[in-house]
Amino acid sequence: MLQGKNIHFCISDKPIIGDVDIKLEPGKFTVIIGPNGAGKSTLFKILSGDVACSRGEVLYNGKSIKSYSSQQLARIRAVMPQHSAVSFPFSAWEVVELGTLNAPTEIGQEEITEVMQKLQIWHLRDRAYNLLSGGEKQRVQLGRVLIQIWKKQAFPRFLLLDEPISSMDVSLQHLVLDLLNVLKKRNIGVLSVLHDLSLVANYADQVIMMKAGDVAFQGEVSAVFTSQNLEYLFGYPIKVKKYDDGLGMLVHSLPLHHINQRLIQAQ
Amino acid sequence: MIKTLQASIPQSKHKVQNTVLVFLGLVFITLVLLSASIGAYQISLKSVISILFNIVGLNLGEFTVAEANVLMGIRLPRILMGILIGGGLGLAGAALQGLFRNPLVEPGLIGVSSGGAFFAVVFIVFGASLTSITPLFSLIGLPLFAFLGGLLVTLLVYNISSYSGKTDISVLILAGVAINALMGALIGLVLFYADDAALRNFTFWSLGDLGGSNWSKLGIAAILILPALIFILRLFPQLNAMALGEREAYHMGVNIQYVKYVLFLASALIVGTAVSMSGTIGFVGLVVPHLIRLGFGADHRLVLPGSFLLGAILLSAADLLARNLVRPAELPIGIITALLGAPFFIYLIVNFKKVKY
Repeated sequence: MLQGKNIHFCISDKPIIGDVDIKLEPGKFTVIIGPNGAGKSTLFKILSGDVACSRGEVLYNGKSIKSYSSQQLARIRAVMPQHSAVSFPFSAWEVVELGTLNAPTEIGQEEITEVMQKLQIWHLRDRAYNLLSGGEKQRVQLGRVLIQIWKKQAFPRFLLLDEPISSMDVSLQHLVLDLLNVLKKRNIGVLSVLHDLSLVANYADQVIMMKAGDVAFQGEVSAVFTSQNLEYLFGYPIKVKKYDDGLGMLVHSLPLHHINQRLIQAQ
Repeated sequence: MIKTLQASIPQSKHKVQNTVLVFLGLVFITLVLLSASIGAYQISLKSVISILFNIVGLNLGEFTVAEANVLMGIRLPRILMGILIGGGLGLAGAALQGLFRNPLVEPGLIGVSSGGAFFAVVFIVFGASLTSITPLFSLIGLPLFAFLGGLLVTLLVYNISSYSGKTDISVLILAGVAINALMGALIGLVLFYADDAALRNFTFWSLGDLGGSNWSKLGIAAILILPALIFILRLFPQLNAMALGEREAYHMGVNIQYVKYVLFLASALIVGTAVSMSGTIGFVGLVVPHLIRLGFGADHRLVLPGSFLLGAILLSAADLLARNLVRPAELPIGIITALLGAPFFIYLIVNFKKVKY
């Protein structure tokens, strides 16, 4: 269990996050959504250990994050930040391989190959990372992060991803989210910041909705993913539609001029 | 940790890396033997090998006493000093580039060398009274002072140019320019107060060459540089991870603070000792890691030992030229490395815009 208890975070006395309580369960795919500047990335950094919270604490499997060494922490959680630049000409394979640095058990070529094939980056293995496209880079970074927790372990582990699919095309987005849903069954709690609400509605188990540094709503997707909540969250008309056969949800928003025109026509 | 990483690297890549290192090693040994043979006083290769084996008690052939005296008394300590300093500067360059996450970093450019030089000059001018206490202090005091200066400047430049683990290269180079200017002025100021004896000492030292090498100097340099070399060489998995960023390396389990301080200390120790022993020898730390990366990729498993070997090769070759180009006089070795290195650096800057790292 990854717990954030009573988290506060201030930058020069200005509160960025105030009193956030969240729980991340292994085996569940939890997504953080919210408007820009809501504190999603800050919360993400606090949970991953990049920054310490001003008040409150982060617990990994019941123990404070401060009691873990960076090496111990690397064995129970993997993190993919929004952007990572590589400063030297490493190949895609070498970048993925970096994720094996602190693997508790030996990870061989087979696992790296498997991860790269699953993410459809195997053909890029000898290419220079810095010459790849945005979506390719993202998959290589994701491969590096996945390999860190790829091998099954007895203890619960966590995968923290900050907008991991933002540069990918739609089929790759489904590929990755599908893979995350497989991965969570290895006793891994997945936490991701995402922006595509339809994808969130269809893949996430739990949603944390953040607004202005606070958790506005959190819970099962089926419970909290309503038009009303989303409109409040983003301050924009959003419709949530369940397919008639009960399989899947569609979340959509229209341009304001369409909405206005419709209102005029209705009058 | 290191064992785990090695086990996960494909065998073929390891083989290529090992082959490269063996090749560099062979070039290195050949060059050392050539350096030992060629000079104002020629010693045949056969005699060189005979003399070297004679040390360990093996009799392989004849040689004259004069040959043995020149080789053991003058040439060998100088060659070994060149290896230590050239390899050290190559490795320190690779380490600093990894630490700053930028391929344009070099001890001379960012002011580490001039910081070391300033402290060395302070010691030369004001330390004379202290050196009378014990002769050992006079030998070890100079490199230790230079180390302190190098370390202070490294920390200063890092703090100026880095923000949350990212280094701004333009700020870094500008900080280097400012620090080099400041150190130059401070050196001038100290020399203003120097007496004649200290001035003469400074002049000899600042000419910067390996000519003054002897066994006791070599011993001091080895004691200071060798541990630093080993500490850096062991950090290759961490340096690889840090190429992704300090934050990412932390996520992967690297103890960032530890790695940073080891790199700060070790590179300052190498550069400081090198500066104190042979003056400022520029561009080795810049050119060498670059050539290795250009030829064989960015994996620090190869870049670190490769930079040591190539640095030793380049400086040995430069010293061979320095000793023989204008025989029987000698060129300062710093002139040769700068003549080779500065155009290469300009080439890098021009290409930096085109080639994406």
